[in-house]
Amino acid sequence: MFDDLMKKYGEVVFKKNGRKSPSAELDDDAESLSFAVEMAKVASDVKAADIRVLFVKPLVYWTRFFIIATAFSRPQIDAIGSRIRDLAEKKYGKVPSGDAKPNSWTLLDFGDVVVHIFLPQQRAFYNLEEFYGNATLIELPSETQPPFHT
Amino acid sequence: MIQPQTHLNVADNSGARELMCIRVIGASNRRYAHIGDVIVAVIKEAVPNTPLERSEVIRAVIVRTRKELKRDNGMIIRYDDNAAVVIDQEGNPKGTRIFGAIARELRQLNFTKIVSLAPEVL
Repeated sequence: MFDDLMKKYGEVVFKKNGRKSPSAELDDDAESLSFAVEMAKVASDVKAADIRVLFVKPLVYWTRFFIIATAFSRPQIDAIGSRIRDLAEKKYGKVPSGDAKPNSWTLLDFGDVVVHIFLPQQRAFYNLEEFYGNATLIELPSETQPPFHT
Repeated sequence: MIQPQTHLNVADNSGARELMCIRVIGASNRRYAHIGDVIVAVIKEAVPNTPLERSEVIRAVIVRTRKELKRDNGMIIRYDDNAAVVIDQEGNPKGTRIFGAIARELRQLNFTKIVSLAPEVL
């Protein structure tokens, strides 16, 4: 009985079939990136400020991208959240878990992409950018205009 | 296996140091809470000059238990302490950083905020 196993796996280090090849990983990354950029664009359409897209895959295993955005009121958080939810469902068929109601820190979890929408006060309080300071910042095409200050 | 009267460590920088469970949230007469469950707790010990004070009643999510956590793949996780993270009524953590390792089950239970503040996810 062991001879069979030895013949099959004894020569080389056993490779799990479930693991994806590096090229498939890269494809997945690219897909998540386009999804994240699109979500960030939608957020900036609804006047979310200071949008950051972070590539956190090297730091944490459980997700690939973080989108961090600031909204200035709860209705605005609601608007951003529902726009993102609608687009994700319509175009990509993804339904987020996370907060259903607008919250001072609203989180939408799409699996590979996690969207954080903060009120300005909460954003400064939790300071997620500093915590994920080693993550790569993704440049957004629409973020060329100067940031809005009150 | 957290039940009323269990003392827990606090795994965040909210200012509380030790909690005592006084109620497990869930069905009536629910006996025990495990990782990812919400409990009502009272602060037994707090860091001076922080917003949270001794004998305040708060809600907390359990993030580590000495009782082992079994996964479907046969993995078993057992921590050295019982620890919880203080949350508010909306589910936002009161502290800004989490200490120590936490389990990935918290994400499935919609505590992704806690997971995203944690330094290590098992």
